[in-house]
Amino acid sequence: MKYLSRRLIHAILLLLAISFFSFALLQMAPGDYFDSLRLNPQISSQTVDKIRAQYGLDRPFPVRYAFWLRGALQGDLGYSLASNSAVGPLIGVRARNTVLLSGTATALAWLLALPIGIWSAAKRRRTVDRAAELATSALLTVPDLLLFLALLLLAVRTGWFPTGGMTSAADDESSFWSTFTDIAFHLVLPAFGLALAMLPMLVRHVRAAMIEVLEAPFVRAARGHGIPRLRILFRYALPVASNPLIQLLGFSLATMLSTSVIAEIVLSWPGLGALMVESIFARDLYVVVAIVMLSSIFLVAGNLLADLLLLAADPRIRTE
Amino acid sequence: MTPSTQMATSKSLDREIRSPLVRIKRLKKSHVQRRPISRAKSEVTALQDASLTIDRGTTFALIGESGSGKSTLARCLALLEKPTEGEIWFEGRDILQLAPHELFAVRNQIQMIFQDPASALNPGMTALEIVAEPLKIQKRCSKAEQRDLALGWVARVGLPSGSEHKRPMEFSGGQRQRLAIARALVLAPKLLILDEALASLDLANQEMILKLLADLQREHSLTYLHISHDLRQVAHFANEVAVMNEGRVVEQQPAAKLFAEPRDSYTRELLLAMPSLESIVLDRFA
Amino acid sequence: MTLRHTLRLTIILLAVLHALIFFAGFIAPYGFSSQNRDLTFAPPAQIHFVDAHGKIHGRPFVYGLKTDALDPTGYEIDPSQIHPLEFFVAGAPYKIAGLLPATRHLFGVRAPSQIFLMGTDAYGRDQFSRFLYGGQISLLAGLLAAAGALTIAIAVGALAGYYRGWIDEILMRTGELFVALPWLYLLFAVRAVLPLHIAGWQVFLLLVAVMGLLGWARPARLIRGVVLSAKERNFVLAARGFGASDFYLLGRHILPQASGVILTQLALLIPQYVLAEVTLSFLGLGVSEPTPSWGSLLSSLQQYYVLSSYWWMFLPAVLLVPVFLLYYAAANALQERFRSVQL
Repeated sequence: MKYLSRRLIHAILLLLAISFFSFALLQMAPGDYFDSLRLNPQISSQTVDKIRAQYGLDRPFPVRYAFWLRGALQGDLGYSLASNSAVGPLIGVRARNTVLLSGTATALAWLLALPIGIWSAAKRRRTVDRAAELATSALLTVPDLLLFLALLLLAVRTGWFPTGGMTSAADDESSFWSTFTDIAFHLVLPAFGLALAMLPMLVRHVRAAMIEVLEAPFVRAARGHGIPRLRILFRYALPVASNPLIQLLGFSLATMLSTSVIAEIVLSWPGLGALMVESIFARDLYVVVAIVMLSSIFLVAGNLLADLLLLAADPRIRTE
Repeated sequence: MTPSTQMATSKSLDREIRSPLVRIKRLKKSHVQRRPISRAKSEVTALQDASLTIDRGTTFALIGESGSGKSTLARCLALLEKPTEGEIWFEGRDILQLAPHELFAVRNQIQMIFQDPASALNPGMTALEIVAEPLKIQKRCSKAEQRDLALGWVARVGLPSGSEHKRPMEFSGGQRQRLAIARALVLAPKLLILDEALASLDLANQEMILKLLADLQREHSLTYLHISHDLRQVAHFANEVAVMNEGRVVEQQPAAKLFAEPRDSYTRELLLAMPSLESIVLDRFA
Repeated sequence: MTLRHTLRLTIILLAVLHALIFFAGFIAPYGFSSQNRDLTFAPPAQIHFVDAHGKIHGRPFVYGLKTDALDPTGYEIDPSQIHPLEFFVAGAPYKIAGLLPATRHLFGVRAPSQIFLMGTDAYGRDQFSRFLYGGQISLLAGLLAAAGALTIAIAVGALAGYYRGWIDEILMRTGELFVALPWLYLLFAVRAVLPLHIAGWQVFLLLVAVMGLLGWARPARLIRGVVLSAKERNFVLAARGFGASDFYLLGRHILPQASGVILTQLALLIPQYVLAEVTLSFLGLGVSEPTPSWGSLLSSLQQYYVLSSYWWMFLPAVLLVPVFLLYYAAANALQERFRSVQL
């Protein structure tokens, strides 16, 4: 319990530091959203200043940060000037889309990585393992950008899949089922690409973890006793190997908001990454900060979760 | 290369020769350990109240089981660790109280040979570089002189010519230990501490190194402090023996006396555990 | 192939790659901004030795292009125009390493004909030349950022591992902070801080600095681990016994033990940073036009008609693969080599 509270405090402090850091970073921006307004000769600079004051952009830095922090803790993340709406709901929708994408991709990647990794470890150094290693190495060297561009090309050339976006022509009246299949169809390419991008490292880690366990004396003893291989694999080795794997899962969760940036941009998936880029071009300060904070929260929370799961799963750590 | 000759009046010379080289008084060393996750602190005491005296020119042996604190004591003496309390008097000065620049000068007087010769030599350096390094660090003489000196010592410890450009990996265990000895002696120290220096060598090598050490001691008036857990081995060559147990020196006596009439109960237990000791002692001291 | 040979081979190939990029000015037939408005989206030229009549030429040559009779926006090969390839031709002036002016190019065809080995883009700019020049930006960004990050990592790792205590605590906690940051987003955020259209090289340097500043934490932790174990080694103690200063110990004995980690991290960081620069440029957040970068060469692919009709615009992406392949192979080989040494 003491450990838990210490980690929580640590996490909160970390997040506070990050919020300060990112806010400070963005305060260094010379100019802001209203620069484009200034260029318009029809709008006087006094009007611009008044609008700025309305949004609190003329106060000194610590004041702005304090206000922002207070608001953020109450759920108000500021106002998006570019899209003329509150930041909270805006990124809420986008975050949901991103999680849909990366969640599916992560699940897919793990579903593939576990069997491949375990099988490679079990048949170490045989053809299966070599082939898997070759494939993962090949995948690793292909940059994500290329991967998604290739998928886009596939969609364009073959017309099998939609070429981007999350839904087809807006039709509010469509039934749940048709919307579901529509989104699912759009989800295929980006999720598949993202899963492929995550796959190599996952497979490597799963394989490494399994190999380490399979070489342990207790497994060799079990084999010596004549226990069937499959049983050893699943009842003896896997539970012990799940230790590092749980940490890996935590890490997967942690990066869930940030891994899909390129996928979102190339395949026009309306997620957080895409919003980030748009906001940068629009100099929409509060959105950028909010996105950085949100993904940091995910990162910190994911790592914390991983550590906690580890604690729960591994009794050795608890007794110390 | 001879150590610096002592230019002094016969009186002070007498006094110096008579006063011990090293006097360790009530040394204490403890450090705090932290458990990994719970962060609980616990104090570990390596040295409790250790005192001993080493005379010039002797071959002194410090015996004890592992964990008795003998290595810690040696390292404190070699100025590689700082004790929490206590005094170490070397040639009439408390070296624990010295200012850094004075310490620098004292360091070349006390040198240490480690148990594992492989780990004591930087695998990336050549033999010549290794032996010459102390001179380089202490900024003694010119580069050419450093090189000559180093070469001289490499030869003196019995390494074949042409060895100077080889790396530690290319030498055998015994040869590496010789290299370590050469490096230690290049600064003409007065005291050489050998921390289980013979433990990792086979018997033949041990004999050869011991002989080399004996020759060197005669030539250069060296004082040796052997740290060992092997009573049997020590019985062969030590003049003076001290026994350590749980951070304390429980007994210090000339070798012959210690083996014949041990005063401390712990010493007696140790001796009892070595039946073959008698024959060695009788051989040597009878 | 033995480990040493693999390592040597990858290093040599990497050196060749970098040399090619370094001499981009010489190898590229054209500058990176020279436009040909009447030859937009021209397909790559094919080099022939035998012409349409079956005649074998001494020199390799390319055909000229003329407007396609059927499709006004496309091109057709004109067999009547034969342009032989010439080597070491005089061409547009450039500067080697930005300092030495020169005019000789590796190859070219006599004006007014052109040779586009990788086709042209929307402004009729030679993609091959732009690829080489773009490599200068992208690779340099990767190298500088990796070097910067590693320098910080070495300093931090050495200080934290050697002195321990509060220095260690502070440095490692700060490192945790940096690891917890979503670095790609933060890079974007920093880019957001800078005005959108400031001078190219300033953007470049700032981005390199930020990437370097964001990436030191993980290597620093690894180096710290090595320093922790190395400083207890007996040869370090022995040197300390001779009165060596901390600085000497670190430089001569301790940090050399970390050379394996440092080199491996270098081989891993460089492609990572190159990719970061490519991503930024792809999104339009990197160096600004007309300076090319591997990323900006690919950004036009986001447009449907480019993606479906002009396949050669894909080539820069494909050519990225061997670059990363070499770096990852080098990293693997280094890891293997130094793992066996440590044991």
